[in-house]
Amino acid sequence: MRKRKDNLLFTAFLFPALFSLIMVIGIPFLLGIYYSFTNWNGVSSDVSFVGFANYLAIFQKDPKFLHAFLITIIYALLNVLVVNVVAVGLALLVTQHLRLTNLYRAAFFAPNLIGGLVLGYIWQFIYNNVISSFSFMPQMLAKPGTSLVAIVITGTWQYAGYIMMIYVAAIQGVPDSLIEAAAIDGATFGQRFRHILFPLIAQSFTICMFLSLTSSFKQFDVNVSLTNGGPAATFMGESIHFTELMALNIYNTAFSYNKMGEGQAKAIIYFLLLLVTSVTQVYFNKKREVEV
Amino acid sequence: MMKKSIVWMLVLLMLVCLMSACGGGSNTDDVEKTEESGSSETAEEADSDVTEITLFNNKVEIDEALQQYAETYEELTGVKVNITTYGGGGAIDSFDMLKTMAQSGELPDIFVVAGPTHYEQFKEYILDLSNEEWVQYTDQSYYGESGEVVGFPVAIEGYALGYNARILEEAGVDPATLTNFEAIKTAFEDIDAQKEELGLDCVISMAASPELGWVTGEQNFNVYLSGGLARDDSSVIDATLAGEVDEERLRQYADYVELLFQYANRDNLTVITYDAQLNDFMLEKTAFIHQGNWIDPALKEAGIDFDMGYVPQAFTTTDTNGIFVSAPTWYVVNNQSPAVETAKKFLNDLALTPEGQDFMVNLAGMVPAFTNVELSPEGKLSNDVMRWNSEAETYAWNQYKLPGGFAQNTLAPIYEQFAAGSIDKETFIQSIADAIKNIG
Repeated sequence: MRKRKDNLLFTAFLFPALFSLIMVIGIPFLLGIYYSFTNWNGVSSDVSFVGFANYLAIFQKDPKFLHAFLITIIYALLNVLVVNVVAVGLALLVTQHLRLTNLYRAAFFAPNLIGGLVLGYIWQFIYNNVISSFSFMPQMLAKPGTSLVAIVITGTWQYAGYIMMIYVAAIQGVPDSLIEAAAIDGATFGQRFRHILFPLIAQSFTICMFLSLTSSFKQFDVNVSLTNGGPAATFMGESIHFTELMALNIYNTAFSYNKMGEGQAKAIIYFLLLLVTSVTQVYFNKKREVEV
Repeated sequence: MMKKSIVWMLVLLMLVCLMSACGGGSNTDDVEKTEESGSSETAEEADSDVTEITLFNNKVEIDEALQQYAETYEELTGVKVNITTYGGGGAIDSFDMLKTMAQSGELPDIFVVAGPTHYEQFKEYILDLSNEEWVQYTDQSYYGESGEVVGFPVAIEGYALGYNARILEEAGVDPATLTNFEAIKTAFEDIDAQKEELGLDCVISMAASPELGWVTGEQNFNVYLSGGLARDDSSVIDATLAGEVDEERLRQYADYVELLFQYANRDNLTVITYDAQLNDFMLEKTAFIHQGNWIDPALKEAGIDFDMGYVPQAFTTTDTNGIFVSAPTWYVVNNQSPAVETAKKFLNDLALTPEGQDFMVNLAGMVPAFTNVELSPEGKLSNDVMRWNSEAETYAWNQYKLPGGFAQNTLAPIYEQFAAGSIDKETFIQSIADAIKNIG
C-alpha cells in the first residue's frame, strides 16, 4: 500500500521533466529523422518522400558542408586545447592563497553569463574598431585564418570561466598534505603539477574535455553574431564562407536555401558525429583516471 | 524529511505550472514581438466584430512610424493593430522569421512578400485581393500565378548611386553627365585625386561584408540582370535561371564592380556594417553611397539635409538613363486568418484615407505607389526617385526571381573575395559564371 503511493509520488515528480524532454527533444528528433527523407521546403504542406537522396546530395554536391565539417573539427580541436589550458591556468591561479580569490572566481566566471549573441556583437565591434586601430594589427575578421582565431578567442573568453570552476572544485579536492609533502621533499611546482596534481584531477579532465568538445561543436550564436560565416575563401572550386561552422551551415540550408529536408539530413549526420566523438572521448579518458 | 502532504502539494503545484505553460504556449511568441500595447490574442469572434489584427513588417526604418499610425488607426476605427518588426541585416533574416511563424501556425494577418521566390513558398496562405478598392490606383500590385492581384505595394523604392551634391559641385563633377561607364570612371578618378581637399575618406560608401550580402548579391547583381533593359524585358534573368551566361554583359558588369570596390574603403570593405556604411556618407566622408532611398528616415533622424540625388548605375559603355525602381515588398493577407475583412479594410484605409496616406508619405517617408496620393515625401533621395520615376526610364528589380539563398549564400562570398583582393577579375567572372551554370 505504502509502496504504491510512493511509486505514484515518484512518477508525479518525474513527469514534468520527462514530459518536457519528450516534447522538446524526443518528438522533434523523431520528426527530424522523418523529414530528412523528404523534400520539404519548410513552409508548404506538400511533402514527398525521396529516400536517401538528401544524404547522397550532401556528400556529392555540397562543398560548403564538407568545408563546414572540416572547419568545425579544426575549430573544436583548437578551442578544446585553448579553453582547457586557459582554464587550468586560471584554476591554479585562483587556488593560490590570495586575499580576493572569491572575487576573482566570480569575475572569471561572469563572461559565461552573457548570452552568445550579445557577446559576438560586442567582440565584433572590438575586432573591427578597437583592435584594428592599433596599426600593427590586421583586420582580424577580414582574413580567413585570423577570423577563426578570433572565434576561438571569443569562445574561450566566454567559456573558460565555466570550465575553470570545475577544475577549481577538483583541485580543492586534492589533500593539501600531499602537495606540502612533495614541496618539502624538494619538488618544483612543475613536478608537483605533473606527478601529483594532474593525475588526481584527471577525472575532471574527462568532464571538461567532454563539455568543451561538445560546446565547440555546437557553437552557433557566437559564430552568427561575430562573423556570420565570415570572410570568403575558395574550397573545391567554390566560393564558401570560411568560418561557417556546421550549425550555421545547417541553419542556412534549412532557412536560407529553403531546403528543410536536406537541412534535416545534415542535422542527423551532425548528431551522429557528435555522438561518436563524445563517446570515444569519454571512453579513452576514463581509462586514464586514477582514484585517490 | 517533509510531511507527505506538503510533498504532494508541491507536486500538484509543479503539474499545474506545467499545464499552464502548455496551454499558454501559443502566446510565448509575444515575448519577441515589439508591441506597444500589452499582450495580444488573435481575434476569436465573427469577422465584422474583430478588433485586433497582427501585421508583420520587415522594414526597420518605418517601425516607429507604423507604431504611431497604429495608435491613430485605433483611435479612428477601434481596431488594434499589433506590429512585429524584423529586419535590417544582422543574424536573423526577416523571411526566415516568417517561415518559422508559418510552421508554428502563427502567421500574422498581414505579412510581406518580396518577390516570386517568397510568393512560391507562401502562396497557399495568400488571399486574392483583386476586388479591393486600392487596386485601381496603382500599377505596382503583385500578381499571383493565375493573374489575380495578391500584393499591396508597400512603397516605391529606388536605388542607384546616391551622391552628395555639394561635394560633387566642389569637385567639379556634374551629375547629369554620369550616364555611362567611362564618365563614372573619370568622375571617380577626379574625386579620388581631390580626396584631401574635399575631406573625404574615399569616393564611395560600398559594402561587401557577409552581413550585407544583400547589397552585393541582390542589388548590385541586379545591375547585371536588369540594368538598361525595359521593365518587362526579362531576357537576362530568364537566361540566368536557365543556367546561361551573357559573357559580354558579365564582363562589362565585372569592370563596373571592380571600379566600385577600387574606390571604396579597402580597409573595412569586407567587414563593414549597415550603420557604418551610412555614417560614412552622412558625415560627408564619402561622395557616393550604394544604397536606396530607404535610408531617408535614417538621414532625417540624424538631421542630415545636404542636397543629394541619384546617378544611374551606368555599367555599360552605352548611355544608361534610369534607376532601379520597384515596390520592394508587398503586403499580403493571410487567407487562413479569422480577421480577413478587418485586414482588407486596413489595407484600403492605408491607401485611401488621409491618415493612411499621411503615414505612408510623411511619417514613414516613403514614396507612395498610388496615383491618388497627392503628398510627396520630404526626403531628398525619395524625391529624386519620384523624379526619375516620372521623367526617365526605370528598371525592374529582377533579383527577387533568383532562387532562395542564391544571392546571399552563393554569390555574396564571390563578391567578398573579389573585394578582399583574394581573387582577380578573371576568377570573379569565372566564379559567377559557374555559380549561374549550377543554379538550382
